[in-house]
Amino acid sequence: MARIWIIAKMSLLENSRKQVFHVLCLLMLAVIASSTLLSIFTEGVQIKILKDLCMTCILFGGAALAIALGATGIPNDVESRTIHPIVARPVTRAQYVVGKFLGTLITVAMGIGAMSIAFGMLIYMYQHTFDSFLLMAVLFTLLEVALITAIATAISTFATPAVTTVITFMIYLAGTIKIGYIGGLIEQSTNVLSKGIFLLIYHALPNLECFNLKTALVHHDAIPAAYLGQVATYGICYTAFVLVAGAAYFASREV
Amino acid sequence: MELPIKTENLKKVYYLGRRKGTRTALDGLNIEVQEGAVFGFLGPNGAGKTTTIKMLLDFVHPTSGSAAIFGKPTTDSATRQMVGYLPEQPYFHKFLKPVEVVSMHAGLAGVERRTIRERAMNALERTGIAEYADTPIGKLSKGLTQRVGIAQALVGDPKLLILDEPTSGLDPIGRRYVRDLLIELRNEGKTIFLSSHILSEIENICDTVAVLKRGKLVESGPPDRVRNDNSIIIAQTIPIDPNTRNRLKFIDVIVEQQADCTMLTIDPKNVYEVMRAMEEMHLPLLKIETRRESLEEAFLRLAA
Repeated sequence: MARIWIIAKMSLLENSRKQVFHVLCLLMLAVIASSTLLSIFTEGVQIKILKDLCMTCILFGGAALAIALGATGIPNDVESRTIHPIVARPVTRAQYVVGKFLGTLITVAMGIGAMSIAFGMLIYMYQHTFDSFLLMAVLFTLLEVALITAIATAISTFATPAVTTVITFMIYLAGTIKIGYIGGLIEQSTNVLSKGIFLLIYHALPNLECFNLKTALVHHDAIPAAYLGQVATYGICYTAFVLVAGAAYFASREV
Repeated sequence: MELPIKTENLKKVYYLGRRKGTRTALDGLNIEVQEGAVFGFLGPNGAGKTTTIKMLLDFVHPTSGSAAIFGKPTTDSATRQMVGYLPEQPYFHKFLKPVEVVSMHAGLAGVERRTIRERAMNALERTGIAEYADTPIGKLSKGLTQRVGIAQALVGDPKLLILDEPTSGLDPIGRRYVRDLLIELRNEGKTIFLSSHILSEIENICDTVAVLKRGKLVESGPPDRVRNDNSIIIAQTIPIDPNTRNRLKFIDVIVEQQADCTMLTIDPKNVYEVMRAMEEMHLPLLKIETRRESLEEAFLRLAA
C-alpha cells in the first residue's frame, strides 16, 4: 500500500503541474462565476438554473479532467522512460497502475473540490443556507469521475494518449445516453443478431446516468438510501473491475 | 548461497512487423555473476547489453531461456528488493528535486518512512551532489542528473547494483568519482553488474568481463583471460589515406589514425605480412614496440 501511495503522490505532483489541469479548472470556475449573471430570472428559477448549470459544469469539467489526465499518465511514463527506475523497484505492475489511477483521481478530485466550493458559495450567497444534498451530488459525481478515470487508465495501458482520449470520450458519451438511446434501439430492434449486439453493448457499457443526481438536487426530489447504496456499489465494482483488467494487461506488457 | 545473477540460454527475439520479420537481440546468453564481484558487460551498440538488463529487471520478457536474481525468477518483483538500477540515461520528472526523487526511490525500495530523508541525503552526499538536493532536475546538467540516478540506485542499500553506462555524460572528474565509488562499493561487498563502453575504466575494477557481439557471448572470464595472452605489436607510421587503411585492415591490422601519425595494432603472427605490405605501400616505420593487449584492444578484436 505504501508503494501505491508513493506512485499516487508522484502522479498527483505531475498532474497538478499540467497546463490542461489549470486551464480546465479555471474555465469551469469562470463558467460557475458567470452564472451569477443570471439575474434576469425570478429568484426561484434563478436558483434552479444556477444549480443545473453548476452541476453540469462540475460533471463535464470532472469528466474532461479525468479523460485528459488519465489518458496521458502511463503512456507518457513509458514514452519518456521515467517508468524504468520505478518498475526496477519491488513494485508490481498492478501497484503501478493503481498508483497512477489514484494520483489522477486525487488530482481530478482537487479540481472538482475547487468547483464545488465555488458552487457551494454561490448557493449560500443566494439561499443563505447550505444545501446538504449538494455534497451528496458532488460525491456521486466523484464516483462517476473515478469510473471514467479507471477506464482512461486501463485503456492507456495499451493505447496512445490520443486513441485513449477518443475511446474514453466515446464510452463516456455512450454511457451517458445508454438507457435512453441504446435501450430504445434494443426495444425497436426486430433482428435477433442486432438485438443481441445492442444488448451486449448495453450491458458492457457503464451506466453513467445513474450517478447524476443533478435533477434531484434541482427539484429537491427524495432519493431512497438503498438506491444510493446500489449505485455506489455498482460504481466501485465497475471501477475495480476495469482497473484489474488494465493491470492484468499491463503486467504482460513490455515497457 | 544463490548467485546474484544467473542466466540460462536467455534469448530475445523482437518481432518487427510482417515485412521486416524478426530480429534476434540476444541469443542463448549464459552468464553467472558471483557474489561480491564486479562484472563488466561489454559489447558494441546493438549487441544486446541493454536488452539483457531489461530482461533481468523484467521490463521485457525472454523469448526463451531463463534469468534469475539471487535464485529467484526475474518475474518475481520481490527480487528487485535487492537490486539498485541505474538506467543508461536516467529519466526523472524535471520538476522534481534530487532529494524528492531519491526519497521516492527510498520509499519504493522499502526504506523505513522516518529514515527516508536522511537516507536520501546520505546517498546524495555519497555521489557528491548534496548541494544540489533542492534544485529542480530540469535545471541540472546531464552529468549531475546522472549522479542523481546513481544516488537513487544506492539509496535502498541494495546487494546487487545493475548499472547501465554509469559514467555516461560525466566529465573526467565525475568519471573518476564514479570509479572510486564503484571500488568503494565493491569493497563493501556489493555485487556490481556494469555495462560500459569506457573500457579503460572497467579494466581496473572488474573481476569478470563478458563480451557480447550481435546478441551472442563471444568471451567471458577474468580480464586477464579475455585479453590475448600473447603480446601485441604496436607500429607507428605516417598518416595514411583511406585506401591504404582498407588494405591494412584486410590483413587484420587495427588502424588508429592520430593527429600526426597512424598507429597499427598487429597480431604477432601477422607481423611479417604487415611489414611486407608496409614496404610495398612505402610506409615508413617510425616506431615499433611490443606490449600486452589492453581490454580495449581485446574488445576491438572480439567485438569489432
